[in-house]
Amino acid sequence: MALPAHAPDRPPAGRPTVLFVDDEERILRSLRMMFARDYKVLSTTSGHEAIDLLRGERVHALVSDQRMPIMPGVELLRQARQVSPNTMRLLLTGYSDFESVAGSINEGEIFRFVSKPWNADEFRATVAKAVDIAQQLELPEVPVARAGGASGEEGILVIDDDPGTVDLVRSVVEAHQPGRHRVDWAADVETVLRVLEEREIAVVVSEVRLGGEDITELIKSLKRHQPHIVALALTGYQDSAMLIHLINQAQIHRYMLKPVRPNTTLRAIESGLERHRALKSSPRLTSRHQVEVMPSTTAHSAVAKRILGFFRNLAPRPN
Amino acid sequence: MSELQSLLVRVPPLSPEQTINELGDLFLRQEYRRFLCLPVVDNGQARGVVSRDRMQGIYMSRYGRELLGRKPVTAVMNRQPLVVDLDSDMEEASHYITANVRLPITEDFIIARGGEYLGVGHVVDLLRVMQGRLRHRNEEVARAYSRLKSSQAQLVQSEKMASLGQMVAGVAHEINTPLGYVKNNIGLAREFFEHLRGQLSAYEGLIDALTAGSPDEADIEARLASIASLRAEEGFSPEDVAGLFEDTVYGVDQISEIVVNLRDFSRLDHAPVDSVDLNKSLDGALLIARNVLKHKAEVHKRYAEIPPVSCAPSQINQVFLNLLTNAAQAINERGHILVKTEADARYVHVTVQDTGRGIDQEQLAKIFDPFYTTKPVGQGTGLGLTIAYQIVERHGGKIRVASRVGEGSKFCVSLPHGRGLN
Repeated sequence: MALPAHAPDRPPAGRPTVLFVDDEERILRSLRMMFARDYKVLSTTSGHEAIDLLRGERVHALVSDQRMPIMPGVELLRQARQVSPNTMRLLLTGYSDFESVAGSINEGEIFRFVSKPWNADEFRATVAKAVDIAQQLELPEVPVARAGGASGEEGILVIDDDPGTVDLVRSVVEAHQPGRHRVDWAADVETVLRVLEEREIAVVVSEVRLGGEDITELIKSLKRHQPHIVALALTGYQDSAMLIHLINQAQIHRYMLKPVRPNTTLRAIESGLERHRALKSSPRLTSRHQVEVMPSTTAHSAVAKRILGFFRNLAPRPN
Repeated sequence: MSELQSLLVRVPPLSPEQTINELGDLFLRQEYRRFLCLPVVDNGQARGVVSRDRMQGIYMSRYGRELLGRKPVTAVMNRQPLVVDLDSDMEEASHYITANVRLPITEDFIIARGGEYLGVGHVVDLLRVMQGRLRHRNEEVARAYSRLKSSQAQLVQSEKMASLGQMVAGVAHEINTPLGYVKNNIGLAREFFEHLRGQLSAYEGLIDALTAGSPDEADIEARLASIASLRAEEGFSPEDVAGLFEDTVYGVDQISEIVVNLRDFSRLDHAPVDSVDLNKSLDGALLIARNVLKHKAEVHKRYAEIPPVSCAPSQINQVFLNLLTNAAQAINERGHILVKTEADARYVHVTVQDTGRGIDQEQLAKIFDPFYTTKPVGQGTGLGLTIAYQIVERHGGKIRVASRVGEGSKFCVSLPHGRGLN
């Protein structure tokens, strides 16, 4: 994601701005009172008005409800992403059907999901984090030498026990840019760890289960320890709770439900590679990919323990 | 092995030269007791049969035995006996025999192979085998029927679960929204309370210091300064907090209203059949469906005074909920839904009319068919209206539909109210 040309170069004076959108006026009133001390709070019940507000002034974080008449949350987030790409987008919702969760990832590229009713302290911390990242994005970027540029290795790792997935990825990547990307395949956790050790990986295309075992923990730790790797979920599982965890804790870039069309796969990988390049050239942007650390979920399973040990031993790669 | 093998009785046949008297003697023998007839075979070919019945006819007629006794059996035999091939299947054989046997049954049938005589079969045995098969088949049909019944029950259940899922999604959002601000407001009110408590104790300290026997000027000074800084702290105004409480009470009321309606809607604590005010049922269904409806349509209610209807309220509610959700789903962007009740001498009519896409004639003929759905995969089981139809029919009512593509659809449920009958 490139910074817009007209990025304000003045220091972030005064209080940062947060915009809340919900069709229930009482939610807005409550949120205004909650956040008014720390932020300049804007609020509206209309998605269209929200877009106008985003056009009119710098907004650091946008918090939107999903189910709203006229313009649903997903649509608002999608438009907000175009109108104001540096505004961090959050969804605050009482109930999320699977489609809207997937939509907010794929089209809205959201930062976090927050459920109604929320925990006030956690919500404050999440908004603070979002605002902090948005403010960093505002500062003039110190260009970082591109590691290798177009010639640098940008490995793709497919994690899935179905060989069909790696075949699909290889065929679309090869057809598009022959010889440009090496595609590795891991059908078990050991291979994943070995590949990560041996090669620089740009994009991971991963299933959420491997050999009957849940590997979302693996994807989450991956993102936590190597934030410039971009994770795409390509899976047969359809579960909105899992998806919400994947966005909050693994900042997955795309979610694709099997069977997936070659075109969709290619577009997602391209977009993932682009995101990876942006992350590499701007360490600041990497912070946008910060993920929640859930102490309660770490090191539960045997897989998680193995992964944790692995990442502890793995030296951070130079950027 | 051939199916007919089990029926084959290898009886030594008569030769064409044997006389009627000789045959008469055979029929009297113990070992021939079961045979209705005996075959006449020449060169391995069955020429005909002579039945016990025919023999009785000869012997009982006057001088029959004297006139015919010495004649060969060929003179009185039936030249067109029933012959089945050993290799033909039981079904075929049984079909042939039941179609051609003479009644009352006086003959057995001949079993041959490739035209060569092998023996005879008794019709009774064949019938017994066929009866066994029939019983077996009936059992199979009964099993298949019960399997069908149970899978139908499962489907009805899954349709219920699908509508339940939709309902739960809506209700969860309906409840979580007020819960969201109620919980937050309580947190904010507590913050305000902590702030007030600080101020209060500062004032109390000041009063104590002022009313003390020997006022300490420096202490009072310090207290005044701390009060001033507490007052300068950015906090909520009492008006803000009053609004907070108002919203909170409103939210709690809203949650209880949803819960009460949910309970009324399922009517688990009510008798299965009740005297029900359908206007109230509709209001309940409208509230449950509110989340789906409010984003799609403006709802217009036109209720008449209607007599109570004796029905199973939870089932009728399910029908209304189904019609309302269908109406909302038929609307693309935003439209109107009219909910109307009226009564005539015998029926209460409930109409749900939408300004949605409408249904064309071809689809209209199928909408009550099981599994017919125009919704995307996973969104409809195609059983909603089928079940609605069954429920209404079970209540002695009718459900009708009129629709025009591009203009909308109108569903009318008519239930007998029984008042006209008395």
